[in-house]
Amino acid sequence: MSEKELGRKWDRCLADTAVKLGAGLGLGIVFSVVFFKRRTWPISFGLGYGLGMAYSNCQHDFRSPYLLHGHVVKEQ
Amino acid sequence: MAAKLFPVIKLVTKVSVAGGALYVAYDTGLLGSGEKGAEVLGKAKAAIPPALQEWMKYFGVEVPAPPKIDLSPKETWNTGVQKSVSALSVAPTKVCEYTNQGIQYLKNLSK
Repeated sequence: MSEKELGRKWDRCLADTAVKLGAGLGLGIVFSVVFFKRRTWPISFGLGYGLGMAYSNCQHDFRSPYLLHGHVVKEQ
Repeated sequence: MAAKLFPVIKLVTKVSVAGGALYVAYDTGLLGSGEKGAEVLGKAKAAIPPALQEWMKYFGVEVPAPPKIDLSPKETWNTGVQKSVSALSVAPTKVCEYTNQGIQYLKNLSK
Protein backbone atom coordinates (compact mmCIF):
# COMPACT_ATOMS: atom_id res chain seq x y z
CA MET A 1 0.00 0.00 0.00
CA SER A 2 1.50 3.35 -1.01
CA GLU A 3 1.65 6.35 1.37
CA LYS A 4 -0.93 8.18 -0.70
CA GLU A 5 -3.34 5.24 -0.62
CA LEU A 6 -2.81 4.90 3.13
CA GLY A 7 -3.55 8.59 3.62
CA ARG A 8 -6.73 8.28 1.57
CA LYS A 9 -7.82 5.28 3.63
CA TRP A 10 -7.28 7.20 6.86
CA ASP A 11 -9.30 10.15 5.53
CA ARG A 12 -12.12 7.81 4.54
CA CYS A 13 -11.92 6.10 7.91
CA LEU A 14 -12.19 9.36 9.89
CA ALA A 15 -15.05 10.64 7.70
CA ASP A 16 -16.89 7.34 8.12
CA THR A 17 -16.35 7.44 11.92
CA ALA A 18 -17.88 10.93 12.09
CA VAL A 19 -20.88 9.83 9.99
CA LYS A 20 -21.47 6.63 11.96
CA LEU A 21 -21.18 8.40 15.32
CA GLY A 22 -23.64 11.05 14.15
CA ALA A 23 -26.08 8.43 12.85
CA GLY A 24 -25.75 6.38 16.07
CA LEU A 25 -26.34 9.49 18.17
CA GLY A 26 -29.35 10.51 16.11
CA LEU A 27 -30.96 7.09 16.17
CA GLY A 28 -30.16 6.75 19.87
CA ILE A 29 -31.92 10.05 20.61
CA VAL A 30 -34.96 9.01 18.52
CA PHE A 31 -35.26 5.65 20.26
CA SER A 32 -34.65 7.18 23.68
CA VAL A 33 -37.40 9.77 23.20
CA VAL A 34 -39.91 7.45 21.49
CA PHE A 35 -39.56 4.19 23.45
CA PHE A 36 -37.41 4.62 26.53
CA LYS A 37 -38.73 7.70 28.32
CA ARG A 38 -35.71 9.90 27.55
CA ARG A 39 -33.20 7.69 29.32
CA THR A 40 -29.51 8.04 28.52
CA TRP A 41 -28.59 4.43 27.80
CA PRO A 42 -30.08 4.22 24.26
CA ILE A 43 -27.98 7.24 23.29
CA SER A 44 -24.82 5.63 24.70
CA PHE A 45 -25.79 2.38 22.97
CA GLY A 46 -26.27 4.18 19.64
CA LEU A 47 -22.92 5.96 19.96
CA GLY A 48 -21.17 2.71 20.81
CA TYR A 49 -22.89 0.90 17.95
CA GLY A 50 -21.85 3.62 15.49
CA LEU A 51 -18.27 3.58 16.76
CA GLY A 52 -18.15 -0.20 16.47
CA MET A 53 -19.46 -0.16 12.89
CA ALA A 54 -16.92 2.52 11.94
CA TYR A 55 -14.09 0.53 13.55
CA SER A 56 -15.12 -2.60 11.70
CA ASN A 57 -15.30 -0.75 8.36
CA CYS A 58 -11.89 0.83 8.92
CA GLN A 59 -10.39 -2.50 9.85
CA HIS A 60 -11.78 -4.14 6.70
CA ASP A 61 -10.57 -1.23 4.56
CA PHE A 62 -7.02 -1.43 5.90
CA ARG A 63 -6.86 -5.21 5.67
CA SER A 64 -8.47 -5.49 2.21
CA PRO A 65 -5.24 -5.44 0.10
CA TYR A 66 -3.83 -8.30 2.15
CA LEU A 67 -6.89 -10.53 2.23
CA LEU A 68 -6.62 -13.76 0.26
CA HIS A 69 -9.76 -15.15 -1.28
CA GLY A 70 -9.75 -18.91 -1.53
CA HIS A 71 -12.06 -21.34 -3.22
CA VAL A 72 -13.06 -24.74 -1.92
CA VAL A 73 -12.38 -27.41 -4.52
CA LYS A 74 -14.57 -30.46 -4.01
CA GLU A 75 -13.07 -33.87 -4.68
CA GLN A 76 -14.83 -35.61 -7.49
CA MET B 1 -63.83 2.19 22.06
CA ALA B 2 -61.65 5.30 21.64
CA ALA B 3 -59.98 4.60 24.98
CA LYS B 4 -59.01 1.12 23.76
CA LEU B 5 -57.79 2.35 20.38
CA PHE B 6 -55.63 5.18 21.71
CA PRO B 7 -52.76 3.03 23.08
CA VAL B 8 -52.67 1.05 19.82
CA ILE B 9 -52.51 4.23 17.75
CA LYS B 10 -49.82 5.57 20.06
CA LEU B 11 -47.75 2.39 19.64
CA VAL B 12 -48.20 2.39 15.85
CA THR B 13 -47.11 6.06 15.67
CA LYS B 14 -44.03 5.39 17.80
CA VAL B 15 -43.03 2.33 15.74
CA SER B 16 -43.51 4.27 12.47
CA VAL B 17 -41.40 7.20 13.69
CA ALA B 18 -38.58 4.97 14.92
CA GLY B 19 -38.82 2.68 11.89
CA GLY B 20 -38.86 5.67 9.55
CA ALA B 21 -35.73 7.12 11.18
CA LEU B 22 -33.98 3.77 10.84
CA TYR B 23 -35.05 3.43 7.21
CA VAL B 24 -33.85 6.95 6.34
CA ALA B 25 -30.49 6.22 7.98
CA TYR B 26 -30.18 2.96 5.99
CA ASP B 27 -31.38 4.49 2.72
CA THR B 28 -28.97 7.44 2.77
CA GLY B 29 -26.04 5.04 3.28
CA LEU B 30 -25.26 6.16 6.83
CA LEU B 31 -25.05 2.55 8.00
CA GLY B 32 -23.20 1.22 4.97
CA SER B 33 -19.54 0.84 4.03
CA GLY B 34 -16.72 3.31 4.65
CA GLU B 35 -16.81 4.76 1.13
CA LYS B 36 -20.54 5.49 1.35
CA GLY B 37 -20.03 7.17 4.71
CA ALA B 38 -17.31 9.44 3.32
CA GLU B 39 -19.56 10.25 0.33
CA VAL B 40 -22.46 11.17 2.62
CA LEU B 41 -20.19 13.43 4.70
CA GLY B 42 -19.00 15.18 1.54
CA LYS B 43 -22.61 15.71 0.36
CA ALA B 44 -23.63 17.03 3.81
CA LYS B 45 -20.65 19.46 3.87
CA ALA B 46 -21.68 20.76 0.44
CA ALA B 47 -25.37 21.02 1.36
CA ILE B 48 -25.09 22.74 4.78
CA PRO B 49 -23.90 26.29 3.82
CA PRO B 50 -26.69 26.89 1.22
CA ALA B 51 -29.28 25.43 3.64
CA LEU B 52 -27.98 27.72 6.42
CA GLN B 53 -28.19 30.71 4.04
CA GLU B 54 -31.82 29.83 3.20
CA TRP B 55 -32.77 29.56 6.89
CA MET B 56 -30.99 32.83 7.69
CA LYS B 57 -32.92 34.60 4.90
CA TYR B 58 -36.20 33.08 6.10
CA PHE B 59 -35.72 34.23 9.71
CA GLY B 60 -34.14 37.53 8.71
CA VAL B 61 -31.07 36.83 10.84
CA GLU B 62 -27.63 37.85 9.67
CA VAL B 63 -24.86 35.61 10.87
CA PRO B 64 -21.32 36.90 10.17
CA ALA B 65 -19.27 34.75 7.83
CA PRO B 66 -16.98 32.31 9.64
CA PRO B 67 -13.31 33.42 9.71
CA LYS B 68 -11.09 31.58 7.26
CA ILE B 69 -8.49 29.67 9.17
CA ASP B 70 -5.35 29.03 7.17
CA LEU B 71 -4.20 26.33 9.53
CA SER B 72 -4.19 22.83 8.11
CA PRO B 73 -4.13 20.24 10.91
CA LYS B 74 -2.68 17.62 8.55
CA GLU B 75 0.26 19.82 7.51
CA THR B 76 0.86 20.96 11.07
CA TRP B 77 0.81 17.40 12.36
CA ASN B 78 3.11 16.14 9.61
CA THR B 79 5.55 19.02 10.18
CA GLY B 80 5.49 18.32 13.90
CA VAL B 81 6.24 14.64 13.37
CA GLN B 82 9.07 15.40 10.94
CA LYS B 83 10.66 17.98 13.25
CA SER B 84 10.41 15.71 16.30
CA VAL B 85 11.88 12.70 14.53
CA SER B 86 14.73 14.69 12.96
CA ALA B 87 15.50 16.22 16.38
CA LEU B 88 15.59 12.72 17.88
CA SER B 89 17.88 11.47 15.13
CA VAL B 90 20.47 14.26 15.63
CA ALA B 91 20.16 14.19 19.43
CA PRO B 92 23.07 11.75 20.13
CA THR B 93 25.46 13.69 17.86
CA LYS B 94 24.46 16.99 19.41
CA VAL B 95 24.83 15.64 22.94
CA CYS B 96 28.36 14.43 22.13
CA GLU B 97 29.21 17.79 20.58
CA TYR B 98 27.95 19.79 23.56
CA THR B 99 29.67 17.42 26.01
CA ASN B 100 32.99 17.87 24.16
CA GLN B 101 32.49 21.62 24.10
CA GLY B 102 31.78 21.59 27.83
CA ILE B 103 34.88 19.49 28.55
CA GLN B 104 37.00 21.80 26.38
CA TYR B 105 35.63 24.83 28.21
CA LEU B 106 36.42 23.28 31.60
CA LYS B 107 39.95 22.37 30.42
CA ASN B 108 40.46 25.95 29.26
CA LEU B 109 39.23 27.21 32.62
CA SER B 110 41.61 24.97 34.55
CA LYS B 111 44.66 26.09 32.50
